[in-house]
Amino acid sequence: MLVRDETTGNTHKGVYDWSWFPRGMANLFSLPALILISAFIGFGGLAREADLPLGQLIFMVPAIWALPSHLVALGGIVAEASLFVIAPAVALAAIRMMPMVMALVPEIRAPGSKRWHMLLVCNMVAITAWVHTLQKAAEIPRPGRLPYFAGFASIMMVSTTAAAATVHQLAAGFPPIVMAGLYFLTPLYFAASIWNTARVLAEKLALIFGFALGPLFALLVPQASILLAGLIGGAGAFGVHLLLNRKPPA
Amino acid sequence: MFYDSFDYWWWPYAFITLAGVLPTAIWRWAGVFAIGNIDETSQWLTLVRCIATALVAAVISQLVFFPTGALEQVPLWLRASAALGGFGAFLFANNRLLVCMLVGQTILLGGILAIS
Repeated sequence: MLVRDETTGNTHKGVYDWSWFPRGMANLFSLPALILISAFIGFGGLAREADLPLGQLIFMVPAIWALPSHLVALGGIVAEASLFVIAPAVALAAIRMMPMVMALVPEIRAPGSKRWHMLLVCNMVAITAWVHTLQKAAEIPRPGRLPYFAGFASIMMVSTTAAAATVHQLAAGFPPIVMAGLYFLTPLYFAASIWNTARVLAEKLALIFGFALGPLFALLVPQASILLAGLIGGAGAFGVHLLLNRKPPA
Repeated sequence: MFYDSFDYWWWPYAFITLAGVLPTAIWRWAGVFAIGNIDETSQWLTLVRCIATALVAAVISQLVFFPTGALEQVPLWLRASAALGGFGAFLFANNRLLVCMLVGQTILLGGILAIS
């Protein structure tokens, strides 16, 4: 069945309008894309310093596709930690994928979308394409949203993997100050982009609480610092949210 | 089981899959299944988002305060001022991402050059 798109005048077969896929890919030339590629240049350097073979790096970047998980997994391999220590730590760093997917799915669903479509495309969810698609979704007709997101996410997967692999081969020639600058892009980028996607004040508070509690718990309970900072910081921010939104007594 | 437990060529890939890929992907799949059942305006979703945000914030502060690689050689006070300076400038400049990156990097790289 051919469906005519009111906004673009395109006709498309089936549930999705794939003419939006290349438009998503065009975001390769944007500031967030440039920052993410730079962050993966940094990750390629880290992988080189950790003596991770090139093939494993090329596999790891798109297969995991979440920079905090990459960092925790690589850190665990370097520390020669057991599978049963690394996997829970990566899982904790990746918990936010669940609410991110839950926020995106209702936006990119089209009439006729199946759950298995979402189970496939959700593997591409990571901060850059997610933020951008959430902001842009209202301007895109529903059948174009999933292709648009998938286009942006897939070009990011290819370009960041290529960047990380290139630096992995060249990193020995990079002066330490360049590597220090590249590694520092990640925390700056994460902090600013999460701040910008927060919907309620409580999420901004959670960012501040988690940032402040992280080093504190790292000194007190190094093994569980990220989990504790996340649970206590997040619950504290939610508590403030409840207090602020309390209904006045009738 | 460890990264170097077995000598097969495929073992590191299996290890990365078990230790890194699956523990990340499982939350994405859980999100797809949960969205069918949870009311999008539920307070629980706000709590989940707060915890998720605080978890990533803890990862961010780990990168600033306990880094690995080339950043390890940079003094703590310089890393902290670059992070707070970059983020402060970001807030001051109406939440512009580029300002955060430029100011943070300028403080960090300028500081490294100044002390070396």
